[in-house]
Amino acid sequence: MALLKISEPGGKATQPAHHLAVGIDLGTTNSLVAASCGGGVKPLPDAEGRYLLPSVVQYRENQPPLVGAQAKFNTATDPANTIVSVKRLLGKSLSELTALGHFLPYQFDANRDDSSPAIVTVAGIKDPVRVSADILAELARRAEHCLKGKLEGAVITVPAYFDDAQRQQTKDAAALAGLNVLRLLNEPTAAAVAYGLDSQDQGNIIVFDLGGGTFDVSLLSLQKGVFEVLATGGDTNLGGDDFDRLLADWIRSQANSGNELDAAATIRLLHLANDAKHRLSDAATIDLTYQQWSGEINNEQFAELCDDLIKKTINTCRRVLRDAAMTVADIDNIILVGGATRMPVIREAVTRFFEKQPLTELDPDKIVAIGAGIQADVLIGNKSAENFLLLDVNPLSLGIETMGELVEKIIPRNTTIPVAKAQEFTTFKDGQTIMSLHVVQGERELVKDCRSLARFELRGIPPMVAGAAKIRVRFQVDADGLLGVSAEELSTGKMAEIQVKPSYGLNADAIEQMLQSSQDHAHADMEARALKEAQLEATQLIDAMNSARKIDGELLTEAESERIMDAVSQLQNEIASGNSNQIHALTERLNRVSGDFAARRMDLHIGKALRGESIEAVEKSAD
Amino acid sequence: MLQINNNYFQLFELSESFELDLNSLAEKYREMQVEVHPDRFANAGETEKLRAVQLTSFLNEAYGTLKSPLRRAGHLLGLHGRDVDQVSQSDLGAELLFEQMQLREALDELPDDESALPELDKLKSAVSKKLADRQQNFASNIDQGELDEAKKIFHEMQFLLKLLSEIEIGEEQRLGY
Repeated sequence: MALLKISEPGGKATQPAHHLAVGIDLGTTNSLVAASCGGGVKPLPDAEGRYLLPSVVQYRENQPPLVGAQAKFNTATDPANTIVSVKRLLGKSLSELTALGHFLPYQFDANRDDSSPAIVTVAGIKDPVRVSADILAELARRAEHCLKGKLEGAVITVPAYFDDAQRQQTKDAAALAGLNVLRLLNEPTAAAVAYGLDSQDQGNIIVFDLGGGTFDVSLLSLQKGVFEVLATGGDTNLGGDDFDRLLADWIRSQANSGNELDAAATIRLLHLANDAKHRLSDAATIDLTYQQWSGEINNEQFAELCDDLIKKTINTCRRVLRDAAMTVADIDNIILVGGATRMPVIREAVTRFFEKQPLTELDPDKIVAIGAGIQADVLIGNKSAENFLLLDVNPLSLGIETMGELVEKIIPRNTTIPVAKAQEFTTFKDGQTIMSLHVVQGERELVKDCRSLARFELRGIPPMVAGAAKIRVRFQVDADGLLGVSAEELSTGKMAEIQVKPSYGLNADAIEQMLQSSQDHAHADMEARALKEAQLEATQLIDAMNSARKIDGELLTEAESERIMDAVSQLQNEIASGNSNQIHALTERLNRVSGDFAARRMDLHIGKALRGESIEAVEKSAD
Repeated sequence: MLQINNNYFQLFELSESFELDLNSLAEKYREMQVEVHPDRFANAGETEKLRAVQLTSFLNEAYGTLKSPLRRAGHLLGLHGRDVDQVSQSDLGAELLFEQMQLREALDELPDDESALPELDKLKSAVSKKLADRQQNFASNIDQGELDEAKKIFHEMQFLLKLLSEIEIGEEQRLGY
C-alpha cells in the first residue's frame, strides 16, 4: 500500500490515523520498549516508573510466568525454574551451549534432540523461543497499557552479529508473543539512528555495543538522513556477564573457597561480582567481602583480570575498520551502547584505540530501544520516510559446501542487504537426478568450522551426461537479514524453493503448534484483534487503491479496472459484516488482482531512475 | 519481473569509464534506494514487498559492482563483450605467474607468530602499490579500446587482490582474531 501512496503529492488528502508501533530492545540482561507518544520516541515505563525490564522469567505451577524484577529477585531461591540470559540460548544447540561454558542451572529435556534444547520447569517444558516470547509479551502488555490501544507492529532489535538461526528464533518468539514484526533491526544501527536523528551529525561513526551477553561493533556513515552501515563485527558470546564471571572466579580464589558451589550459591556469588563490577564504575577501588574473606580490588587489577576480553573487543574494532577500508583517523564519533560500556576499563580501552573520547551523554541502556521505536514509527507510516533510510549489511559470509568439505562464499560479509546472488552448478555423474546443497554461514574455509544453516535437495533433474545439467541457485537475504534459497534447473525450468529454516531451532510445524496453543488461551482476544487489524488493512488498501486509480488510472485496461472495482466493492461489503479470515481473503484477492497495476506504477515511478528497458516494459504491458 | 538496465553505468547515469567519481555514484545510489528500499513498503502487500526486495537487491548489486575497482573493471569488460569468467592461457603471461610465485613464496616463508607482522606490512604495501599501478594501466587500456590487454590486466588485478586478502588473513591469524 505504501507503494500506491508514494506518488500522491503531499499525501495530505486525509489525515492518517496514528498507528501504534513500538521498538523493542530484547536484551540479554534487560529489555525495553519505546514508542512515539507526545513529541518524540521515548522508552515506556511500567506501573512503578521503571524502564528496564530484567530479562528474567520465572515459571510457576498453575500460575502465569513471572517476568522482570520480581523474577530476577527469585533467581537465587528458584534457579531451576527461573530463566536468565535466555538470549544466549537462542539459536544454539545443547552441545554448543555446553561447550560455551555458560552457567546453566536448568534441567534440559532429554527427549529433545541436541539441536533444539528446552528446559523442564514446574510449568512444563519451555524452549528459548517460548521464554523470549514471554518477555516480549510482557513488554507488549506494558506498551498497550501506556499507549491505550492495540499494537499494530513492532521493530525488534537483534545483535548485528546474530546469525540466521538466532534471527529466525527472535522472529519466531515475536510471532509467538502475538506481535506483528515490521523489521528485525541491528542494535548498533538502532543506536546510530537515535543518535543521528537527534544530533543531526554527519560523518563516520563507530557504535561500540557491549551488552550483557553480546558484543557488536558497527561503522556507519551518516549522510542527510541516510544511515549506511559500512562494516560490522562482533561476538555473540561476549558480554558483561563474562566480566562478572571472571570477577567471581577471582573472588573465589582470593577467598580460598575450594568447595564446589551449588546453583544457589553460584548465583549469589555472581550477584556479588556483578555488584562489585558496578561499584568499580563509580570508584577506583572498592571493598569486597565474601564468606570469611574481605579484601579490595581496584580498576587496574580488574583491567588485568579482563585483559583477554578487552583485547577481543578492540581486535573486533580493528577488523571492522579494515573491512571498511578506514583508519581511526576517519572516525568522527564513537557511541557507547549497552550497560557494560559503563565500565571504566572499557571506556579507557576504546579511547586509547580510537584516540578519541567516546560520547557519553547518551544513555547506553535506552538508546537502542529509542532507535527501534523511531524505525517502527517510520515503517508503520506515522512518520514520513522522506530523508530517512537505513542501509544495513549481512554480518557473516554465506556460502555453500563444495567438494572436499570446503566452503565457497556466495555472499561475503558486510554486503549491503537486501542482496541476491545466483550461482550455477552442474552434475558430476552421468544420469544424476538429485543434487544436494548445504548452506553455511561463517568466515572459515572448512564446512565444519562454519554454522550449518540448511541442507536441501533438488530432485528430478533430468538425467543427462555429467556436466550437462545447469542448476542455478539463488540466495536472497531480505531486509531482516534472513536467508531464502531457491534453485532452478535451467534446461527444464524445474524450481525448488525454501525459506531457510535453520537446522537449529524450530521447524514450521512446531511454531504452528505453539501458536495454536497460545491462541487457545486468549482466543477471543486474538479474534477481536485480528478482526480489527484486518479491517484496518482492508480500509487502507481500498483508500490507497481509489487514490491510485485517480492518479494513474490510465495504466489500466477497462477489463482490469472492472476487476479491481469488483474486488473493492466485495471487500467493502465484507469489512462491516465479515470475520477476519473473510476480510483477509478478500484483501489478498484485491492485492492479487491489482498486483500488475501496482507493479506498473512502481515501474513508472522508478522508471526515471532505473531508465532504459523498464520504461519500454511499462509501455509494452500497457498496450 | 521488471526488466532492469544491465548497464550499471547507464543505471546510475554515469559515463562508461573506469575512472569514477565515487561520491556522485554514492549520492545517486542513495537517491534511488530511498525510492525502492523495502522499508518504504513495510506495510505493503506481499507482491510489492517482494518486488522491493528484488529491486533493492539489484540496486545493491549494481552499486557494489561499480564501487569495487575489480568488479567495475570486470563489468566494463563484460559490456565490451569480454567474459572475465573465461580465462585462457594467453591471458596469463609467464611474467605474471613468475611474479605471483615469488610473492607467494615470500608470504609462505614468514614465521607463524607476531614477529611476521612488519614483513607482512611491507609485503602488503608492495602488493597494494602494484595493484594501484595495474588499475591505472587498466584505465588507459580500456579507454583506448585495447580490450585484450585490459583483460590481461584484469586477471593480474584478480591475482593481486587474492594475494592481498591472503596477507590480511595472515595478519588476522597472527593477531589472534
